[in-house]
Amino acid sequence: MKISTKLTVFYIAVIAVFVLLAASLMSQTVAMADGYEHLLAAPLHDMDAARVVQVDFKKQVQEWKDILLRGHAPDDLARYTKQFHEREAIVSASAKALAEHVDDSAVKATLDEFVAAHRALSAKYKEAYDVYLNGGFDFKAADKVVRGQDRQPTDLFDRAVMQLDDRVRVSVESQTVAIAAGRTRALGLAGGLLLLLGIGGLVIVRGILGRLGKLKAIADRLAVADIAGLVIDISGRDEIGAFGSSMKGVHAALEELLSVANSPTKVS
Amino acid sequence: MGAKLLAFYDQASKEFSAVGRMKLAMLTLISSVKAGDAPDSPENIKKFEAALDKLRHGPK
Repeated sequence: MKISTKLTVFYIAVIAVFVLLAASLMSQTVAMADGYEHLLAAPLHDMDAARVVQVDFKKQVQEWKDILLRGHAPDDLARYTKQFHEREAIVSASAKALAEHVDDSAVKATLDEFVAAHRALSAKYKEAYDVYLNGGFDFKAADKVVRGQDRQPTDLFDRAVMQLDDRVRVSVESQTVAIAAGRTRALGLAGGLLLLLGIGGLVIVRGILGRLGKLKAIADRLAVADIAGLVIDISGRDEIGAFGSSMKGVHAALEELLSVANSPTKVS
Repeated sequence: MGAKLLAFYDQASKEFSAVGRMKLAMLTLISSVKAGDAPDSPENIKKFEAALDKLRHGPK
């Protein structure tokens, strides 16, 4: 193969390796983006929604306490009752929506339990609210009805949040592992290809330089007509082989010239 | 061995003198010194014929 062809092939190989590396990097980036997108779309979104419901539920309980503390004033009673019912409706709707959206069966079961417990608690609040109004704003009697009743739904929702938190942690860990694997694969591919290119380039360069060195040694001897025992063993179908063939011609011509010069009957 | 090849050198001498011998050596890559030891193979004879032809008519 000609040197120019070898160099062209090597150049194309270098370009191909870099294109391959760029494609590999692009594919890894896309896979990483997809992984994070999935993480944001499901586990993190659910976790975020759960924390909102958790806070809303705490606000609902707070509104109930405001009713008991300040409900003796008609304006406050109306305001806190309205806010309490609004918060109650938000918690119920959000928890149901979350239970429907979440794809983890354990979390879904816990959320369903919470929805049922929250519904039961609402009935208790209604009962306590009636006791409060009918008993002349007797907050102690009303509190007696619901005291400790919010513990179970609170614990249930805390459990759901913990389960979602575990799910997020597992998803992040698996994403981290996938990224590390992709990075190792890309580094291995890049290293392997660059090593191959390096070895290929070295073999080509050493082959060219070795034969050029031989050619130079022959040219040096021909330059001083030192042809005694000179053997030109350079062959091949490349430019150096062609140059070696020309050198053989020069060698033969020089040999012939010396032969003629040394001949007793010189050719005219 | 090589008698036929040496005959080509004699012919080149007659037609083109010493320069012809040198050119013949250059074209065939075999000097008269080596032609004596080289076989009169059809391949070598063909090479010398072509070289002599080139000397006579120039490169085609």
